[in-house]
Amino acid sequence: MVRFRSSLLPEALHTLLRRPGTVQYPFGPAELQEGYRGRVMAHGERCKGCSLCVRDCPAFALELERNGKEHYRLIYHPDRCAYCGQCEQSCRFDCIYLTNEFVPGTADLETLSVVLVDHKPAEE
Amino acid sequence: MRELLAALFNLLIFPGLGFLFVCAMAFEWGDRRLIARFQGRVGPPWYQPFADLIKLLAKEDILPNDAEETTAAVLPMLSLAAVLTAALYVPVAGYAPLSFEGDLIVVLFLLSLPTLAHFLAGWVTVGVYSILGGNRSLLQFFSYEVPFLMALSTPAIFNGSWTIAEITARQTVWNIFILPLAFLVALVGLIGKLKRDPLDIPKAKSEMVAGPLTEFSGRKLALWRLSMDMQTVVGVFLLVNLFSGGASMLAPLAFVFKALAILALLSTASVLYARLRIDQLAHLGWRVLAPLALLQLLVTVWMGG
Amino acid sequence: MTKVTIPIGPQHPLLKEPLSFLLTVEGEQVLESTLRLGYVHRGIERLCQERTYVQAVHLIERVCGICSHIHTTTYCQGVEALSGLQVPPRGLYLRTFLCELERIHSHLLWLGVLAKNMGFDTVFMYAWRDREIVLDVMEELSGGRISHAVNVIGGVRIDLDAAHTRSIQQRFDELERQVEKALALINNEPSLKARTQGVGLLSAEQVARYCVVGPVARASGVDVDLRRDFPRPPYDQLKFNVITHPAGDVWARTLVRVQEIRESLSLCRQILAQLPDGPTSVAMKRRVPPGEVVSRSEAPRGEVIYYIRSDGSDKPARLKIRTPTLTALITLADQLRGVNVADVPVVLSGVDLCIACADR
Repeated sequence: MVRFRSSLLPEALHTLLRRPGTVQYPFGPAELQEGYRGRVMAHGERCKGCSLCVRDCPAFALELERNGKEHYRLIYHPDRCAYCGQCEQSCRFDCIYLTNEFVPGTADLETLSVVLVDHKPAEE
Repeated sequence: MRELLAALFNLLIFPGLGFLFVCAMAFEWGDRRLIARFQGRVGPPWYQPFADLIKLLAKEDILPNDAEETTAAVLPMLSLAAVLTAALYVPVAGYAPLSFEGDLIVVLFLLSLPTLAHFLAGWVTVGVYSILGGNRSLLQFFSYEVPFLMALSTPAIFNGSWTIAEITARQTVWNIFILPLAFLVALVGLIGKLKRDPLDIPKAKSEMVAGPLTEFSGRKLALWRLSMDMQTVVGVFLLVNLFSGGASMLAPLAFVFKALAILALLSTASVLYARLRIDQLAHLGWRVLAPLALLQLLVTVWMGG
Repeated sequence: MTKVTIPIGPQHPLLKEPLSFLLTVEGEQVLESTLRLGYVHRGIERLCQERTYVQAVHLIERVCGICSHIHTTTYCQGVEALSGLQVPPRGLYLRTFLCELERIHSHLLWLGVLAKNMGFDTVFMYAWRDREIVLDVMEELSGGRISHAVNVIGGVRIDLDAAHTRSIQQRFDELERQVEKALALINNEPSLKARTQGVGLLSAEQVARYCVVGPVARASGVDVDLRRDFPRPPYDQLKFNVITHPAGDVWARTLVRVQEIRESLSLCRQILAQLPDGPTSVAMKRRVPPGEVVSRSEAPRGEVIYYIRSDGSDKPARLKIRTPTLTALITLADQLRGVNVADVPVVLSGVDLCIACADR
């Protein structure tokens, strides 16, 4: 390195005068795209209990508990979920979907697993 | 009694321990913030160097089984003591209460002690990275020290005194304009002495983990970092005094401005270049810097300094 | 002088993933090196045999973080060939669009990592800042920056409209300017050239002996690129250059990769301009007819090969993955012989290590 001339100097000065590319999260803004694959939710009324989503989940994060033909519950485990969106792809009834919620954790292990669908037989 | 109090004030408050501590924290913050902005990042807040020091003091202090504990404990203190002593003789805005005849030589000698302590630190804390980093530290010392000393002697010869305060006072035109080559060599030598990018070869993170200081932690590491920060301050002040002195030195504001300008130069050099290899540094030191410094020295002698 | 053994890894600031190198060093020169792999072995090939074809797509995506899309592409290509499915043209074009975007992202990431390991932090920050443009586009398209989950067996699950295409083209203009600056830097910056030229030499004969693929092979003058040699649609409709360089050192690899970013940008623009209309996927059958297939494609690091055997059920009977990093790792023993210790990070970064790919 005999010569001290640097080809990085113009770019370095240009960057110095621009706004920095990083944000001081959480004091600065952090927006997520609308299509970001975050927490899983479901429209409970559309669920038919076909368990296609359960079969196709690669992380075994969904569980269907059956108590008869019309009585079933769909339970979701966010700790096992890989946020891949396969359940949304597999569902034929437009029921289960992914939101863009980024922080789905809780401090309490009891409240971690969520019941997405609670289908009971119609009252006679 | 009054002299005792004045001496204590000089040693502990200004321009001694307290002032140097504040300057060391401020210089480290300024350096890190400027480098971050050059790289398009936000950079640390103003209290970051201080927070790092406090955090290190609270960490566990362990060493390998084979290391020599007493030597490893003494070395950072030796490094810090050498830097603090050297700082006493470097004038701050023209105020040099403890300067004496020939103190430039004493300062240069004291400033080379931290590098030797750095090498020894690698040697006593046995570990592959420490020993190899220590070897590199010594190799780097041999590459830049001779040109650095030659470059810093040139203002002394030109201004006809070996006392830093005298050199500062006798400059009518700033030495940086009359002896530009010496300033350049001194700047590169300072980068090597402080082991900053692009000459941070002994502590290259991607090769040597942390070089000689790999096995240090806790309070010892805090003292090492403090001594390196203070070395930066003393080095910058020395360059300001030797190369941009003169009557305007007496205004503290001008001094601060000049010190910050030299710090900005050091930070810019950090940003612009990749790390050199040790053989490339030896080539740079002996085939480029030493001839330049020698040339400047000969020109100065011929000019009748 | 005595011989010292320097351990590089499994934990080392130089490595992004665990890898164990034991270097025998005398003074500042490396004499020998021993390599140990397997620290990131997760048994993905065996796990895929316990899952259905649909579930296996997502497991395959996690073989590697940087080239995740190309792994799923190769896998889906193989299963589609076994099932006799024809992916519609729009699906193929969108798949390739993401493949080329991933190539750009991988090369920019690699440039940053090489610069960081060389001590050139500034180029690291700049390269990763420009990489954010690509990551934003991928996030808008697929919902994730690194794990896209775009491929389904039978096509893709995403789509593009005209407004989105225009905004992507604008960002490509900015990325192109930054890539030109990066190329000027690599060609002119003296400290970078001093660190990378003449380091990590591989001759064309060594490339042939070790079966090296990808940019490492192309930087030693060997002209091999699966996209041009065995063009599957849509590569047969697209024009691009294969970049080679005769030097065979890390500087040549840097040039090849950054110029490949330029070629990939041009490919992306062609894809956006020529995007045909129609559906993006076809339905797949759950059970795949028995048979075996070898599926190959050009990942950012070279040729990735998948062997899939099915026995008629809905789970794969055997899945075998050969990733390109494995071939490059074997050459490291030759490359590291006789180099300076200070050159070890440059050599290791020059082959673009992706240990997760190599270990599966």
